[in-house]
Amino acid sequence: MQYFKITLIRSGIGMTGRQNKVLQSLGLRKRMSIVYHPVSPEVAGKIMKVKELVTVAETDKLETKKEIQESRRPPKGFVVEKKVLGGSV
Amino acid sequence: MSLPALRRLLRPSLLSYSVLSRSIIPTVATRTALLTTSAVPSSTPPPPPPVSAPSTEPTTLTSSDLNLLPLLRAQPQHYATIHIQGFPFLVTAGDQVTLPFRLKDVTVGDQLRITHVSVLGSRDYTLKGAPWIDEKLFEVRATVIEETSEPMRIKKKKKQRTRRTKTVKSKHFYTVLRVSQIDVLEQ
Repeated sequence: MQYFKITLIRSGIGMTGRQNKVLQSLGLRKRMSIVYHPVSPEVAGKIMKVKELVTVAETDKLETKKEIQESRRPPKGFVVEKKVLGGSV
Repeated sequence: MSLPALRRLLRPSLLSYSVLSRSIIPTVATRTALLTTSAVPSSTPPPPPPVSAPSTEPTTLTSSDLNLLPLLRAQPQHYATIHIQGFPFLVTAGDQVTLPFRLKDVTVGDQLRITHVSVLGSRDYTLKGAPWIDEKLFEVRATVIEETSEPMRIKKKKKQRTRRTKTVKSKHFYTVLRVSQIDVLEQ
């Protein structure tokens, strides 16, 4: 199954009510939020209504919200070698 | 609407260049580790560094870097740019680092081994990772010495022509580390 990976690049602030309603229906809330929708003429039409605000890619892999969040998290940068016994404060 | 038609319409060349030229699909990064020397001045300016998309894997050394690595290792003192939860800190052995946050899952007294280092250098040589240096090349250790907090700060918020003043108090927690060891390992 093919999916559109839609990323909101430009904010909907200052855009028309219609464009904001389309963003709402796509599930795009904040800038740089990513949403997956199956490829269909309906979704294609929605993208065309907000094409100036959005970047689109086609994939067959879905990413859950948690996975997107994890991919954005910076690495911890360390490993605990010796743990001191006893609880934290 | 057909997909090819949609693709044609969403091509960056037809839309605003400044906004939509960014691609969300990452390009394949060219991974190069640069081991440079500052001791020997070069007559010709060095070539500009290759522009590449950021990669997340540590770099593999080239043969020229491997030749210079013993020279870096032989130097008496080293520094490193360690990254803790994305925050970079330039440290040497014996440095105290006050992190601007509290490290979770860590208690005072724990010994940490740093895994993400982007720059490893000394007086005459610098090894730069793109973005990280291979873990097999270094050993950087730190100890958690303190979990403290900042002095209380009070922010007053008041609008013009209004008598109401809102007070917001902040007292964030910080973790303090001491970097105990920075070693360049033998290959």
